[in-house]
Amino acid sequence: MASILARTLKNYNGKCFLAHSLLSCPVICGSRTSFYGEYRRAGQPRDNSPPWKKIRFSFAKGVEGVQKHFGLLKEEILGRWVGPQGRPLKEHMLEQTRVQWDFRGPDSLKQWIVSSDQEIGGRSEVYLELSKNISTCLVHGTLCSTPPRDGETRYSGYCTLCSRRLLSSFDRKKHIDWTSFNTLHLRIRGDGRPWMINIATETYFSHQKNDMYNYFLYTRGGPYWQDVKIPFSKFFLSSRGRIQDNQHPIWLDKVNTIAFTLADKADGPFQLEIDFIGVCNDRAHTEDFAYELYKRNPEV
Amino acid sequence: MNCARRLARITIRGFAPYATVTARESAKCLNPYGSGVQTLRAFHAGFGHLKDQSVSRGDGHPRHEGSLVTHDSLFEQAAVEARTKAMFNRVLEVFVRKDIRRRGHVEFIYAALRKMPEFGVERDITVYNKLLDVFPKEVFVPRNFIQRMFNHYPRQQECAVQLLEQMENYGILPNVETKVLLVQIFGEKSHPMRKYQRLMYWFPKFKHTNPYPVPQDLPQDPLDLARLSLTRVAADPDACVTVYQMPSTDVSETIVADVSLPYVVGIQSPEQRSLLAKHNASRPVFVEGPFPLWLRKTCVYYYVLRADPVPPEEKVQEPVDPERSFFYPLELDLDLERDLGDDDSFDVDEVEEGPIFAMCMASRGDQATLAKWIAGLQQTNPVLGRAPTLFRLESVSREIQRAGESEPGAEPGLEEEPPHRQAMKQ
Repeated sequence: MASILARTLKNYNGKCFLAHSLLSCPVICGSRTSFYGEYRRAGQPRDNSPPWKKIRFSFAKGVEGVQKHFGLLKEEILGRWVGPQGRPLKEHMLEQTRVQWDFRGPDSLKQWIVSSDQEIGGRSEVYLELSKNISTCLVHGTLCSTPPRDGETRYSGYCTLCSRRLLSSFDRKKHIDWTSFNTLHLRIRGDGRPWMINIATETYFSHQKNDMYNYFLYTRGGPYWQDVKIPFSKFFLSSRGRIQDNQHPIWLDKVNTIAFTLADKADGPFQLEIDFIGVCNDRAHTEDFAYELYKRNPEV
Repeated sequence: MNCARRLARITIRGFAPYATVTARESAKCLNPYGSGVQTLRAFHAGFGHLKDQSVSRGDGHPRHEGSLVTHDSLFEQAAVEARTKAMFNRVLEVFVRKDIRRRGHVEFIYAALRKMPEFGVERDITVYNKLLDVFPKEVFVPRNFIQRMFNHYPRQQECAVQLLEQMENYGILPNVETKVLLVQIFGEKSHPMRKYQRLMYWFPKFKHTNPYPVPQDLPQDPLDLARLSLTRVAADPDACVTVYQMPSTDVSETIVADVSLPYVVGIQSPEQRSLLAKHNASRPVFVEGPFPLWLRKTCVYYYVLRADPVPPEEKVQEPVDPERSFFYPLELDLDLERDLGDDDSFDVDEVEEGPIFAMCMASRGDQATLAKWIAGLQQTNPVLGRAPTLFRLESVSREIQRAGESEPGAEPGLEEEPPHRQAMKQ
């Protein structure tokens, strides 16, 4: 047992894959801890439990993990014979549109996470479910912009729907490549509130981990669906919610997640229905970047 | 408390020619520590004798200097009288005149920022400029490279940045006066100046990004508000708004309680009317709602007349009338080979939803009110007289739907799930 613990501890901080153990049951640790600790808010108790307490050994989980990961590996290897990224070469080279996420069935909701300001002590609520016609997703809840009484938070009131990042077999990172497209296409139905679209891309340095590219998503409201096309050139860079001075066009080769945030300070119920999220190539759009850059402080 | 007393005195000065009695009363309520006689003496002495007052002040009043008294009390005492822009400005004037060194101005500005929504001046650029004017000029401007390199007077700079941030949150664009003030106070390259530059860069860029703009001040009349929101929801310039019932309040003699008629405003486009004309009369139409619509910070509710999606066996492909356009053919039956690179459609299943025939807004969401809408629609759409109408109104607790929850004609639970309330109307 001690050797299990030792090996698990050794592998705990990385992508851990433990093929066998003394009990001859394969254990795959799916937990991915980040290198840097999370920010602990004021009043939140410190997590002092040792890391081995957080590992749950389970035979069923191991079997499930082996099935899942080897299945993914098999798909990956066999997909190479078909073409790049498992699609025929003609399709890969000539595609003009791609549906990245759609919501046809309950399984599609597993790729999404909702979060609200309850994480920082607020009182907003957000729920994610399929709408009545089982083919679109419905994000609904209540927004409450009362800041928590912890003495340091000044603003509160947000709700977010965020996609999970894609992982290939054995929990390796997998990125979405949108370089051949220039426009984001969404089919939504809202209630008149403005949302914000956040696209997070892979970054190199750890201080860039909060970098996101944002743009606004305005909804009309009403019973009709709304097709929204947003060129990627309009997205601007922000970090920790602040627009940065040095702007650059979004790098589309390694996109990790897309998120929708509502924080319009109007307390009350909200809802947003999403049919699909796709990207397309708008050949009439030739702009590279929508924001001109000034020299800062004549020279920095 | 010193400035509170001075505020009272200025109040007296302002009001003295008009009504001395009210001025005396307001002075009393503004100044809990001083006696009425003393404030009246200040009134007689006028504004030039303020220094003598501050010397003679020591007679037994509890003084709060050095203690943790915020400047909220100044605003609270002003709020007793009136919460207006004039009163807010007067408080600022009192503070500015109190001390030539402007001691405690950072705390005062933070307190003023908190109190701004209370006084209704949070969207007023002149008030923000006046608040910036409280900062002493040219004291915080760095004079040599070391001061410029390090954060010179950081608390004051943070305070000014927060003031600008509050402007940003309320969507107020700074003007040239703000810039001049910031240059005078903090210098050319300070943090507040940088914040100002960022605001001036990004605000005009995002000013007109909303393709469905909402006016800043919504109409007060509920009919106008309903008209605005229905045209927004309908998304069709051909759609026409019809007022089916004007709001009115009748006090009848026979009944004790007054009878108020709710307004009913509907919208229908010609396309929706032709859709409704093609509707199979044996299938029911539904009145659904209420659905929320947000216009900035106000939420209105609308109702929708719709039907179930047409089953595939009933769908008929109507041939396009070739004489509808004489200039170009509406249909081309060419067998053109399309390459994969020419395909701009999305590979996704269509969402099957029923057609929408009309929309309405009503001040009361009960079935009797909405039946009036249907009755009004029948005059232009005779199909509604034949097709059964089902009311699927969600029983959410809302103040708009306060009365008439139990209708005599309501038969709950026809074929629908329990949260829906519905009834048959023929």
